[in-house]
Amino acid sequence: MALPLKYNFRNVLVRWRATLATILGIALVVAVYVLVQALAVGLEKSAGNTGDPRNVMIVRKGATAESSSQVSLAQFQTIRYWPQVAHDENGAPLISADVITLISQPRIDGRGEANVSVRGLTPLGRQLRPQVKLVAGRWFTPGQREVAVSEKMARRFTGFHVGDTFHTAGNDLTVVGEFDGGNSAFDSEVWMDADEARSLFDRENYSSLLVRVTGPTAAQELLARVESDKRLPLRAEAEVKYYGDQTATALPIRILGNFLATAMSVGAVFAAMNTMYASVGARTREIGTLRVLGFRRRSVLAGFILEGALLAAIGGVLGCLLSLPLDGYSTGTMSFNSFSETVFEFRITPWLATKGMIFSIVVGVIGSLLPALRASRLPVIAALKSV
Amino acid sequence: MTLPTFIIKNALRNKRRALLSVSSVAVSLFLLVTLQVALRELTLPVESPGAELRVCARNKVSLTNPLPARQRPIIERIPGVEGVTPFTWFGGQYQNEGAMTFAQFAMDPKETRRVFTDFKLSDAELARFQTGKTAAIIGKITADKYHFKAGDHITLNSTVYPGALEFTIAGIFSGTADDRMMLFHQDYLDDSIGTPGLVGMWWLKVKTADDMPRVIAAINQAFANTAAEVRAESERAFQLGFISMLGNIKTLIASISTVVVFTLVLVTASTMSMAVRERFRELAILKALGFRRRELFVFILAESFGLAAAGALLGIGTAYVAYTFGNISKMTHGIFVSFEVTPRIMGLAALVAAVLGVISAVAPALAVARTSVVDGLKTLD
Repeated sequence: MALPLKYNFRNVLVRWRATLATILGIALVVAVYVLVQALAVGLEKSAGNTGDPRNVMIVRKGATAESSSQVSLAQFQTIRYWPQVAHDENGAPLISADVITLISQPRIDGRGEANVSVRGLTPLGRQLRPQVKLVAGRWFTPGQREVAVSEKMARRFTGFHVGDTFHTAGNDLTVVGEFDGGNSAFDSEVWMDADEARSLFDRENYSSLLVRVTGPTAAQELLARVESDKRLPLRAEAEVKYYGDQTATALPIRILGNFLATAMSVGAVFAAMNTMYASVGARTREIGTLRVLGFRRRSVLAGFILEGALLAAIGGVLGCLLSLPLDGYSTGTMSFNSFSETVFEFRITPWLATKGMIFSIVVGVIGSLLPALRASRLPVIAALKSV
Repeated sequence: MTLPTFIIKNALRNKRRALLSVSSVAVSLFLLVTLQVALRELTLPVESPGAELRVCARNKVSLTNPLPARQRPIIERIPGVEGVTPFTWFGGQYQNEGAMTFAQFAMDPKETRRVFTDFKLSDAELARFQTGKTAAIIGKITADKYHFKAGDHITLNSTVYPGALEFTIAGIFSGTADDRMMLFHQDYLDDSIGTPGLVGMWWLKVKTADDMPRVIAAINQAFANTAAEVRAESERAFQLGFISMLGNIKTLIASISTVVVFTLVLVTASTMSMAVRERFRELAILKALGFRRRELFVFILAESFGLAAAGALLGIGTAYVAYTFGNISKMTHGIFVSFEVTPRIMGLAALVAAVLGVISAVAPALAVARTSVVDGLKTLD
């Protein structure tokens, strides 16, 4: 006969003072676990939101980031007229040649400077990235020293709001617009005209090409053609895959998260164990009575494990609730891949919350296993006699 | 029975609980020490000997923009400058590792000793480095990792420049703040890419510390309003710039540390009060025997303090041993080169433990003090 669930549930409630600390402890551990993982998820999401399946990215062979890649004007002109490239309604090939430069810019909180990615785009570049939307001001005019800045970057660096000017490479640039990158990697960028960027930063070549292809087979053909053409020292890759590979920055955060989760869960298991042992100790007579009433050892064992799991689950729910307010909060760090500031958000997904809950229940079960065993093994007579 | 034996016996009478309490304190303090060390390593620039006389000059736009090679004679002519070398990031990947595992810089080998006074390198190795065109010197940590030795040929694929370069290892150095990097000839790099006349940065050494501000100002002045404006700063300021780039990581680790400490206080305080509640009756007997509240408080305090101290010793000790004798660069996949547990951090952790010991004694001690002997004796469990 199994112990009624109500018994365990009431026990958790009745001894609330003793269990509150344990619940809070587990809640904090779960909150830390969920938040650190949420950072990694946010970084990966931002990369995942960036690529368009219809686009192909072309960079120099061997370059791991756009900023260290070079594509010459001649190469751009060659690829432009390939049949795999889609055309817009006016018959212009849908291809953008971009120039990526990093500029060092002071942070808004006065704590030093960081590298910011500046992307120069040819006129069709915006059309190839429809997730980027203007939210204030207007887009830059080619031929003018004008830029549009991601609104997330505008909140982190000085001189990035509409109407501001900032000085770089010996020139003043005016911010004429702010855009929302739709939680993509473009949220970490400043955009301007490609040829303006080339003259400003004294760059002979473009950094990368973004091509809209006519269809999935065309994409494969384009990849193969770039690979096989010996005159082109370039590498073509689906844009989705290119940004997918950029998530390496999330790895140290994942390592940190796993380390913290492991170490803190060990502590949490000890805490849960302590509480459960005390609970078993205080209820020795009660357990004896249960046994006399006919409850079997395994019912008592299951009952106490259930109680530990319940305790931890309450902690888990509390932990997830504690971490929830930070969902969507944006933060930033240097990407080891692009060597520039990358903004991303804490992203608490349902799956992540589920993982947090599983984590807490595992802690509860492990923590209550030994105390429950002890409870189930108490000799009935001795248990009844104990004061 | 003496007083200390009484306290020790009391603390250990529930051995399981004592062990669990000590362990949870130990785990938390281990975590605290780890996070604090990580924070320190991330936010403190590596102190390399000779850094106080070194100046780093980069393109004002950002570190990744190159500088024209023709700036060199102008910098050399500035009074107070002892040596100048280009310092160009090569971004090479060794074999097919798919990631950069150590940094390589192109420089002028003739300036090795003049600019980098901290290099431990034999004269023979230095001579080989300076004469061989493809020669390179490599830090001891990387050399040990890949079992490189002098005379080996290695090929690196650049992520910045087209193609790959083959190098001959001329020597292995140590004694710098980061014994992982590799240095090779700027001339060799230039030849392989058709001499574009560009370098990554300038690293220079000034004669005395007094020359430093003047030299920095002179360099910044010399290239103001040219196509490639320069930002010169001390090596320390330059390293601090990297820390600023890390952004919010510092806040993140600091807040996690706070949560860890808070959780620790919570859990341990609750355990301690559990232990005291269990022997309310006993304490009431002691009270009846004539022990004063103050003395009872000392009993409880000594016990909780002792448990916290044991946990501290275990946690801090484990961290110290693990990070001092363990191979940290292997454990963190090269994210950290050094992971020094400083006396300051150990002191901080010990302080947390001490405060913890006191806090967890306060609540139960107050409860005992408030309860009358009769009520205490009536308590059953």
